Amino acid sequence: MKEERTQTRGVAEYVYYLQRILIAASVLALFFPSMNPARICKLVSDNISLFTSAVSYPSLISGVGRGFRSGWIEESTFVVLYISAVIAVIGTALVAAGACCSLGNVKLKRLGLKFSLIGSIVQIGGYILTIVAYNMAANGGRPEKIEAHFPTAALVLAIMAAVILLTSLLLMAVLPKADASMEYEMESKYKLFLMFLPFGALAGIFCYLPLWGWRYAFFDYQTGGTLNMDNFVGFKWFIYLFQNSTTRSDILRVMANTLGISGLNIITQWIPMVFAIFLCEMKNLRFRRFVQTFTTVPNFISWVLVYAIALAIFSTDGFINTFAKSIHLLDANSEGTNYLMGNSLVWVKMWAWGVWKGVGWSAIIYIAGISGIDQQLYEAATVDGAGRFQKMWHVTLPGLLPTFFVLLLMAIAGILSNGLDQYLVFHNAENDKSIEVLDLYVYYLGLGSNGSIPLSTVVGMFKSVISVVLLFGANAVSKALRGESII
Amino acid sequence: MAKTAQEKLDAKREKEYNKTHKHMYKLKPGDIVFDILNYLFFGLFTLSCIFPFYYLFINTISDNKLVQRGMINFYPRGIHFQNYLSLTNVNDLGNAFIVSITRTIFGTVLMVLATAFVGYVVTKQEMWHRSFWYRFIVITMYFNAGLIATYLNMVMLGLTNNYMVYIIPGIVAPYNIILVKTYIESIPGELEESAFIDGASYFTVFRKLIWPLSKPILATVAIFGAVGHWNSFQDSLLYMTNAPSLMTLQHRLYIYLNQSSNIASMMNTSGAGAAAQFENLLNVKVIKYTISMISVIPILLVYPFMQRFFEKGIMLGAVKG
Repeated sequence: MKEERTQTRGVAEYVYYLQRILIAASVLALFFPSMNPARICKLVSDNISLFTSAVSYPSLISGVGRGFRSGWIEESTFVVLYISAVIAVIGTALVAAGACCSLGNVKLKRLGLKFSLIGSIVQIGGYILTIVAYNMAANGGRPEKIEAHFPTAALVLAIMAAVILLTSLLLMAVLPKADASMEYEMESKYKLFLMFLPFGALAGIFCYLPLWGWRYAFFDYQTGGTLNMDNFVGFKWFIYLFQNSTTRSDILRVMANTLGISGLNIITQWIPMVFAIFLCEMKNLRFRRFVQTFTTVPNFISWVLVYAIALAIFSTDGFINTFAKSIHLLDANSEGTNYLMGNSLVWVKMWAWGVWKGVGWSAIIYIAGISGIDQQLYEAATVDGAGRFQKMWHVTLPGLLPTFFVLLLMAIAGILSNGLDQYLVFHNAENDKSIEVLDLYVYYLGLGSNGSIPLSTVVGMFKSVISVVLLFGANAVSKALRGESII
Repeated sequence: MAKTAQEKLDAKREKEYNKTHKHMYKLKPGDIVFDILNYLFFGLFTLSCIFPFYYLFINTISDNKLVQRGMINFYPRGIHFQNYLSLTNVNDLGNAFIVSITRTIFGTVLMVLATAFVGYVVTKQEMWHRSFWYRFIVITMYFNAGLIATYLNMVMLGLTNNYMVYIIPGIVAPYNIILVKTYIESIPGELEESAFIDGASYFTVFRKLIWPLSKPILATVAIFGAVGHWNSFQDSLLYMTNAPSLMTLQHRLYIYLNQSSNIASMMNTSGAGAAAQFENLLNVKVIKYTISMISVIPILLVYPFMQRFFEKGIMLGAVKG
């Protein structure tokens, strides 16, 4: 008797695995445009997923305006299509709830099976309605104009839903009945996992799903076009990037800018540390507090505002010029100099803005480090006859070096990531050549007026991969030298 | 409270440090020169951090004609606040302001709730494959697919030209989750255990115990989040290409800063008379300064009160989990 029960449980477990995989796949399919059954004709965007179709009717019909006006397709078709998408999404949500319940005890499992059963029926209903909408499109108006095509995805998903339905029925038959006295229960490990799941899913959608966008690097994609085997080009763009003389010289220039500005930042990485040490040398506590408060403010304003400030101070009608005029250093009628234009010293200027914005903030961590240094060390140094500067050099500085080292490694790991905001706002026609760092280049290459999505995806891929390698390299160095990991 | 005790300790240490330092050496000429240079340097640097804001401010409240002629350099003249009132007539600015404020509120609230909850859940050793899922979140801090791939993903999800792009992607914030998790781990476990023995569920423990106890760190996280939302510019720039009414204040400011002197294009003038009045009252320089001021004022107002939270944030980040 006992053996038989364990055997049924074994079978049920396998069926459950199958069902959960199918459910996970149908949930995932909600977010992939290529698996969107609502794409019944050319008028529906190729970049829209089933989930989006169901959530936002305006997105669904965004490309259909002309079709409605010319009578190629009835609006009622799209209403049916929209309703079908909503029903399919609700059904998928129900089966997903069922899968979650399947982690509980028998009573909860039984409840979950009811969810999966109803959900899969709802799903199938939704997909059938999609096919109905397709038929409406194919038979009414001008199907050849809108290029109505049978939604294969609907069929695939409907078959998956049917399997979920069958497995649910099977499991209902196999699973033992729950006692009437039984409570809904679940092991705490699964409970915690399910609490985490929605947030894990968000991280998956916004941080891991973009990796799927890397496929654009392998296609000859034009904005508004599609990805299919006809425009699959393999590694064409990877080769193009290095063979085409324009992109090659662009890349070299951009890399010089990126490494130049990052390099300046890395070799001056000690500035916040020295800032903190000297700040702590001032005896007037109130003044120190004052300095600390106001030097950290710039860190909390956006780069756009930094640019606004730069304009107010350095542009032709800014403070520097008007002040020079008011003390007659500059002729009152002269044009003045716009210090933000021009192609000279751009790297140094960008570096200086970065220091101005960040030094007070970066110093805080060192200031805390200084207050954590053992006072006895200073006393011992005094006894040994050390002066003020010797104490700074031999006691304070070594106490801060571990922190400095970690931040230096992080800076080296982030050498390719200058960020976009700063360079975008300070960018102008004259300093174009020296300010374009990798992030800005990728932005213009991809989303600029005559941009190329595949090419900029390739550059982005290189950047991501190299950054990760650098990070792990920095981590390995840290482990080898200090026995501590930094990530 | 542990927090105030820690602060007291810090203050005491600082005092001791200064006292010992004062008596530890006799002032030599070199020291005096160093001190003078030191005070001078920090004084000037601090001035460079204050003056630009002051300069912007005095220019927005001074007589506009004087501003246009560049006469306002160190103190305001002909004080009036008309410029701020006139901003209501600037196209789209009201929208941008509302977008920025609402995204800051909703985005921050949702982020803090999610961060606290996830931070709590990942402290529970019994969670199914806990370390895997924790790493799954943390890795996203160090790795991203790149600007274009992220953009394409947003297009795929239908989040471009959609207000929700400001809110939803920011809900799960890995760095903040690490901060909160580290903090929750420092709360004595006995409290929780006794609650579980009394039959409390995870939700109850979270609501009644963890949430109130981790308020200090949640305040820090909330302030960081709010500043980030208020300053956010890139998402508006990337994703709102066809929805000007959903642009954030920072994005609007960026557009105005780059606009040439055509002030008429910025105003929703409701008649020739009104147009003339605004031409009189406002000029490009002043309007740019005024919009900059209203974007920076919330930060400047909040900052002095919240400074200790900011500092706590960076300290906790240094300890990292």
